[in-house]
Amino acid sequence: MQSKQTFADLFRAGGVSRRDFLKFCSLTSVYLGLSPSMVPSIVEAMEKKVRTPVIWLHGLECTCCSESFIRSSHPTIEDLIFNMISLDYDDVLSATAGHQLEDVRRKTMKDYKGKYILAVEGNVSTKDDGVYCMVGGDSFLNTIKETAADAAAIIAWGACASFGCVQNADPNPSGAVPISDIIKDKPIVKVPGCPPISEVMTGVVTHFHTFGTLPELDRFGRPKAFYNTRIHDKCYRRAFFEAGMFVRSFDDEGTRKGWCLYKMGCKGPTTYNSCSKIQWNGGTSFPIGSGHPCIGCSEPNFWDKGPFYTRLAEVPFLGSDSNADKIGVIAVGAAAAGAAAHAAVTAVKKAKAGSEDNDKA
Amino acid sequence: MGRLIEEIYVWRLPVRLYHWINALCTVVLLVTGLYIAAPLFSPPLGEAVFYKGMSWWRYLHFATAFIFVANFLFRLYWALFGGDKYGRFGGFRPWSPSWWGKPFLEQVESYLFLRTDEPNYVGHNPVAALAHFLFIFCGSSFMIFSGLAMYGENNPGGFNSVWFGWMIPLFGSSYTLHWAHHLMAWIFPIYLIMHLYAVFRHDVVDRTSVTSSIVTGYKHKVEEEPV
Repeated sequence: MQSKQTFADLFRAGGVSRRDFLKFCSLTSVYLGLSPSMVPSIVEAMEKKVRTPVIWLHGLECTCCSESFIRSSHPTIEDLIFNMISLDYDDVLSATAGHQLEDVRRKTMKDYKGKYILAVEGNVSTKDDGVYCMVGGDSFLNTIKETAADAAAIIAWGACASFGCVQNADPNPSGAVPISDIIKDKPIVKVPGCPPISEVMTGVVTHFHTFGTLPELDRFGRPKAFYNTRIHDKCYRRAFFEAGMFVRSFDDEGTRKGWCLYKMGCKGPTTYNSCSKIQWNGGTSFPIGSGHPCIGCSEPNFWDKGPFYTRLAEVPFLGSDSNADKIGVIAVGAAAAGAAAHAAVTAVKKAKAGSEDNDKA
Repeated sequence: MGRLIEEIYVWRLPVRLYHWINALCTVVLLVTGLYIAAPLFSPPLGEAVFYKGMSWWRYLHFATAFIFVANFLFRLYWALFGGDKYGRFGGFRPWSPSWWGKPFLEQVESYLFLRTDEPNYVGHNPVAALAHFLFIFCGSSFMIFSGLAMYGENNPGGFNSVWFGWMIPLFGSSYTLHWAHHLMAWIFPIYLIMHLYAVFRHDVVDRTSVTSSIVTGYKHKVEEEPV
């Protein structure tokens, strides 16, 4: 790791002469429509502004976010970690390990106090003092509190860090909680998905690198640029939904014709993500494109909203095989039975009262 | 059968109109809503461009919903500013201990056959008023807020999304809100059964012509037949 590397350093390392560097700055000022007097400011910024230092922690997780991240095509992962950010600590991607790596983390925290980005993949086990997730000899609960204290902002990668994912699905044996439950005093960008789309991940980093600010967030703390619309809104099978042409089983004519998967339990109409826009693996495909209903992996607590292959969720407190319609029909039946019983009692009472009246008469 | 001895004009035209528009909308909303959740019909094989199987059901649901909302707001306006003695929810005073005490308790006892005489009310009795508050006011309010929040999802950043979108994080996710909207829809058929039963029963037991009163507006008192 090269400490505090600036853009000027990068140019120099790439064999660009001082003269060419100054030319570049002058041209940049022209592109930006700035006056010639601004050129020295640009030179200064390029010489002094360092790449954004990023500490990337891994908690209770499966590393699928990292797997997705390294497959980004726009920008590529090389472009991102060599030209935009300085990925100082990442226990999955770093060459070093053990104490050496932990020292790097502490050094970055000290050198860039209040300036580094903390990226968190996975969530935090809180039960029994967090012993169910130990990294580098300490519980992840302690590590994240320590590292977050001096961070400028936090990026919560994936469904785990954002909402909890499978670890905190019922019954949540390790007491796993999303990052936002632990860190309350820092801005948190949630980038949900299991995993998030690689271009969404790199897009969030690129936004911060380019503008120096966090992207605009929605009510759930997700970047609006990628999570503003539902998969359903941009789905290429939407026309079949509107037409009422649905796949009814995975081996029918509709499946072959690529009809809408709504009746197969597709969660696209309630899932906010960019799968139907950006797609996966450099625009190759996405779940619905491959004929599988969306399971809503970027939505909060999607594991507990099952089953995946029906539209209507079970009613949690009434156990499996219950759903809103079954409960509704039973309740309506009970109301009808109650009314009938009440009517019967009324009739009996009335008949009795009538005969008593007759007796009196 | 005794003679009609009194005729009381209870339900004025705005109330009767509200009642029937509301009834019609509720039925249409329930049927179209259940269809949207579980579309039954299959169009013949062909190009999607020629069919509107789902669109029409959704369109009908949304259009009816806006009539339902307007009608609901009109009823609230009428209660507050209509100056209608029987249309201003006057029989519902849950903040008053005396309301829970004698009148409410008497009516409950009567429904449970614990007393023989039926308390008689020109407007709604206290139990009916509570049922209307829970099912019609609270139930409709929830369906309207959650419905508009979900409708707002079609246009992120638009009016409905800005003003009602907070319902989505409140319920955890869009899917949970859909689920809650679906589950709550079932209170309306339950209410319908109880409502119809109560009306017919009161008509038979009290002979106040409550059934026809929602068409004509008049309730009647019948002279007790000489024994």
